[in-house]
Amino acid sequence: MSESKESPGTNAVEVRSLTRTFGIRKALNDVTFDLPAGAFLSVFGPNGAGKTTLVKVLTTLMAPSKGTARVAGMDVVADAVELRSHIGLISHNPLLYPDLSAAENLEFFAEMYGVPDASTRVRELLEAVELDHRRLDLVRTFSRGMLQRLSIARALLHRPEVLFLDEPYSGLDPHAVDILDNLIAQIRADHTFVMISHDLAKGLSLCTHTLIMARGRVVLAEEISAVKRDEFAQLYRSTVGMGVA
Amino acid sequence: MAGTHANPRGLSVRQFKAILKKDIVMELRTKEMITSMGIYALLTMVIYQIALSQAGTAFDPRNIAAGLLWLAFVFTSMLGLNRSLVHEKDQGCLEALLLSPVDRPVIFFAKATGNLIFLLIVQALTIPVFAFLFLQQGTYAGDLWMIPLVLTMGSIGIAGVGTLLATMSVNTKGKDFVLAVLFVPIMYPLLLAAVSATTAAVLGGDGYVQQFWSGMGLMAAFDAIMLLAAFALYEFIVGA
Repeated sequence: MSESKESPGTNAVEVRSLTRTFGIRKALNDVTFDLPAGAFLSVFGPNGAGKTTLVKVLTTLMAPSKGTARVAGMDVVADAVELRSHIGLISHNPLLYPDLSAAENLEFFAEMYGVPDASTRVRELLEAVELDHRRLDLVRTFSRGMLQRLSIARALLHRPEVLFLDEPYSGLDPHAVDILDNLIAQIRADHTFVMISHDLAKGLSLCTHTLIMARGRVVLAEEISAVKRDEFAQLYRSTVGMGVA
Repeated sequence: MAGTHANPRGLSVRQFKAILKKDIVMELRTKEMITSMGIYALLTMVIYQIALSQAGTAFDPRNIAAGLLWLAFVFTSMLGLNRSLVHEKDQGCLEALLLSPVDRPVIFFAKATGNLIFLLIVQALTIPVFAFLFLQQGTYAGDLWMIPLVLTMGSIGIAGVGTLLATMSVNTKGKDFVLAVLFVPIMYPLLLAAVSATTAAVLGGDGYVQQFWSGMGLMAAFDAIMLLAAFALYEFIVGA
């Protein structure tokens, strides 16, 4: 992947001159890149680089100030409602209702997405994330790892084409990390992934494409095969330094 | 793998029911809104009773009973309305809701309907206490059937405007203050009409039916305008 002005038809994500401002501050500044369907993009950058803002814009949670973005072939502003059926988000926040049980949470979101045969799908996903034995327990009684596993099930309920992962490994115990790794491996072939991570080793081990951001701009956008790990780590460290300067 | 596609209109109805059911189940489980609103409303009634206990026999509390009633409901509803959106903010639930393929007005109408139901339950608990304290037997001169009508019409406006303003204020630091500052001025015409209609229902007298329906008409117009405005603005407000 590279910063590109081309518009190939098979891209899962196409971002053109994307800018998002908060007052006078540009959280995203003229961001442009493409991501082919089926790819796994790891987005790196220091705190405040604009990574979360990028994901919020691409998941329709925030409107861009300028520029355009298309995900799964749909515009994030004009086709926002339709697009939401094609994307999923796993965040470091579980995005679950603490006073509903695991099954009730998934059943609620299944209704919101119009998932057919919801009860079968809910059971299938609870088994996949190894929470079937806790299906009737309130989510507020769950550990951090269990919350994240249930959050993964919620994000996969409607079989999204593009999955956004905002620091999904944050705070997970080793068992939960294994489950998330296994789930990603299982669905890897059918999905496009965009993952924000501060964990360089984990991000690089999963990705096919990588993007480094700093101060709202794209510093590097490359296919992983074109990147030498040592040089990448050095570039990332210098970028982090730039970000906090 | 394809995403899930459903009939948008059918899906909107399913989504409305799902949000409403979820809010009711969570409230039945936690009882946070109804308990806090109910206790607040009952305490307000007791305080009114104490405040008016020294007014003397010449003073007829029925003359201000409607105002007292709506004053209690306004403050009670502000307490509850803030809670209804704070639940959604917990652990990013509002974000999860906004990520789903739901038209924003569906979220508004479902949340407002939930708030209306909770408000009506609290009113149903409060009215007998109010009647016992202020409308002693033999002094009630209006028509009883008017009371639930005026309460419902007023509560629709409170729930609609309140849900809209609670959504606006939920991301602000002083959300209780922001809601109060915006809520009372906007609700002013509705409260005026509600107090007028309720007074007619309580006191009766010459022309009380006309006064009642005049208040009801104003409230209906207010509700319609505010609900339309909320329908048009909710997408912008919730995404801001």
